Amino acid sequence: MIGFMGDVTLDTLKPGAAAHVVALDARHPLRRRLLELGFIRGARVEVMRFAPLGDPVHLRLGRTDLALRAADLHGVTVRAVQGGV
Amino acid sequence: MTASPPPSPRLPTAPRVDEVACAATVARLRAHREPRVLVVGNPNTGKSTLINAVAGTHLKVGNWSGVTVEKREAHLKRGEQTIHLLDLPGAYSLSPHTPEELITRTALLDEAPDVLLNVVDAGNLERNLYLTLQLLEFRVPLTIALNLVDEARNKGLEVDAGALSAQLGVPVVETVGVKSLGTAGLLDATLSGAQVGAVLRYPDAIEAAAAELEGRMVNLSTLPPHAHRYLALSLLEGDPSLRGRLSATGHTDLLDAADAHRAALELAGLDPLIEIAEARYARAGEIARLAVPQAELKLTLTEKLDKLALHPWLGIPIFLALVLTVFRLTFTVAAPFVDLIGGPLQDVASGWAAGLLGWAPLLKDIVVGAIIPGVGTVLSFLPTLLVLYLAMSFLEDSGYMARAAFLADRSMRGLGLDGRAFIPLILGFGCNVPAVYATRTLERKSDRVLVSMILPFMSCSARLPVYVIFSAALFPHAGAWIVWSMYVLGMAVAFAFAWVLRKTSLPAEGSGVLLELPPYRFPAWKVMWTHAARRTASFAKRARTTVLATVAVVWVLLSIPAVSGQAFGEVAPAQSLFGRVSQAISPVFAPLGFGNWQATGALVPGFIAKEVVVGTLGQIYLGEEAKRAAPLGFAQGVEQTALATWNAVKTSVQALPTLIALPSFGADSSAEQKTPLAAALARAFTPAAGLAYLVFVLLYTPCVATIGAMQAEHGRRVAWLTVAYEMGIAWVAGLIVYQIARHFL
Repeated sequence: MIGFMGDVTLDTLKPGAAAHVVALDARHPLRRRLLELGFIRGARVEVMRFAPLGDPVHLRLGRTDLALRAADLHGVTVRAVQGGV
Repeated sequence: MTASPPPSPRLPTAPRVDEVACAATVARLRAHREPRVLVVGNPNTGKSTLINAVAGTHLKVGNWSGVTVEKREAHLKRGEQTIHLLDLPGAYSLSPHTPEELITRTALLDEAPDVLLNVVDAGNLERNLYLTLQLLEFRVPLTIALNLVDEARNKGLEVDAGALSAQLGVPVVETVGVKSLGTAGLLDATLSGAQVGAVLRYPDAIEAAAAELEGRMVNLSTLPPHAHRYLALSLLEGDPSLRGRLSATGHTDLLDAADAHRAALELAGLDPLIEIAEARYARAGEIARLAVPQAELKLTLTEKLDKLALHPWLGIPIFLALVLTVFRLTFTVAAPFVDLIGGPLQDVASGWAAGLLGWAPLLKDIVVGAIIPGVGTVLSFLPTLLVLYLAMSFLEDSGYMARAAFLADRSMRGLGLDGRAFIPLILGFGCNVPAVYATRTLERKSDRVLVSMILPFMSCSARLPVYVIFSAALFPHAGAWIVWSMYVLGMAVAFAFAWVLRKTSLPAEGSGVLLELPPYRFPAWKVMWTHAARRTASFAKRARTTVLATVAVVWVLLSIPAVSGQAFGEVAPAQSLFGRVSQAISPVFAPLGFGNWQATGALVPGFIAKEVVVGTLGQIYLGEEAKRAAPLGFAQGVEQTALATWNAVKTSVQALPTLIALPSFGADSSAEQKTPLAAALARAFTPAAGLAYLVFVLLYTPCVATIGAMQAEHGRRVAWLTVAYEMGIAWVAGLIVYQIARHFL
């Protein structure tokens, strides 16, 4: 995947931010499962909230609500949606 | 609701369906005497509720052999045909990630399915279709149950079942499982209409590789023909568990060929895993857009509830309040029935047995001394279990359990566990038995074993009576503190033990945590009730043997005289073999401050159920006759039973309003203050020894019911290793507490 200036890892987004998936780290422990759940190129993902203790993160991918730890989000590269909801 | 007629598949991509073969399958199915229907779907699609509605009382639940995953099946009569329905565990995909998903994949390969019934959540079409597209790679006729259409409608989603059916080339039946809508015709549609649907076409390079692999499978009789395409694609995806399966069955040539294809594809810049997932999602998205007209999405109830349940400040207090409510339910609602079974009912049964068996004293003793208390012990667990299982089903089926795991996740991380591990540990405070079963929600085997092994340190409600009586006897002014510190100590030991296990024998496997937070749903009462009743009954079935055997052994030991001149069954505890054995063991406890045979002896029956420790202490210290059951007339017995049952119901119902009140620790201990047993204990134990005794009782062993549950879930070895470890830990902890406390108390 070619890098892009606006690309960040998913763990850096704040609640309320939305982004499109750019790539999954090839060594991500959940790579297979994340792909199957829809973390594919171009998929829109939205950060809903952090858990009260700061982690994990509540995400919305399509119509699915998921919880993932920030450490597992580090392997997901995304491109922020400008002015995302 | 009606089934949309299966039109001839509209294939956006080159059709691979052999129409002739397809028609032949359907014909075979109609004629088939005992067609096997496999039900497959994502988790949280309301699949079990739907299948409950379809199969009703015919649904039999057991375990898949060798694993602790529920096997749900039914044999349904439909005219001449017997339909064999097999409801497979929920799966997000067919490359398994959990034991449940592995079962589902294995069944699809090995159970010779005649037809597949795919349950799809109408409110989350795209992700559900990922699995559907994978299922269509099996050359088996398929029907879709488009479930939860009412919920989708509330979200503002109106799914066009006809369009969906046209796109996939299989019939689609709209259903609402909770209301039994569409369920009547579902089986008919499944059997008469199912079609081998349209197959998704992947990029050419992938198709070419898959075709080559399929060609190799033609001559391999061990690989079921209906699964060739699925197997080829999974091999290209590099599914690790499939590799394991195929290399174990000697298909190394096939694996080598797959590896060569993968390497070639990667060289060409194609990662088959990504290509396949993207192709499936592209198609799933396309179908979803065609089947669901763009709608204004409404703010759902789930979003509103989550604002509260996952609130930064309120989330955790709400969680704790819910947990507290569950425990108060077990204490207030179940406890009167526990007392009823352990007390009056057992007395009545003993009385009747004594009356009926007067002519055979030894038989009478066995029945009254071992069988009735044994059965009584098993039965007295049931009210607590039923209440806890009901609460668990409610929290699970409503969707809250996933939120609890989300809230608790951070706190479990130090042990290499995820938030889901919190649930069994919390349940352990009520009763360790359901907690052991609750470890099934964990994905990894090592996590399940680890949590089960530390569970018994969570102080279950049966241990409370022991704390209460000792606090009343030795620490009348600090009762609440003593009780509280036992709970905290138990948790501390549990976490320390888990840490040690992680470092030594059960290292954390893999990493990464992923939870779905499903929409909140109001659980169907019937489903909740059947779940809870079934789990409770299965406990009774399996605990029966273990508990009965243990009670019988203790009874025999208590009956065998250890001094000459006494008859079997006629000895005082001190002179029985039991007394002698306790005497022999007791020096072991001298460094803990309670090296007398009475204290030691009471620990043995505590193995059966912790609250029995109190009863045995009473028996030994107060010289109470070991329940000499007086013969009881039938009518008297009935009267006593009715009265006691009425009292239990009354107490339970009257206690309901107190559920909303705050709990008051220690209130009970002051009430017990003056009992003769407390006075006797105050004379027999120094405060330091009493404290050490409590610590020992807290930690020393899971009760037999828990051991039985652990054995069923994780095997004999884990169960008895746990007992051994915990004995050792309890002894050391008791020693430390006594040696320190005796200088201060």
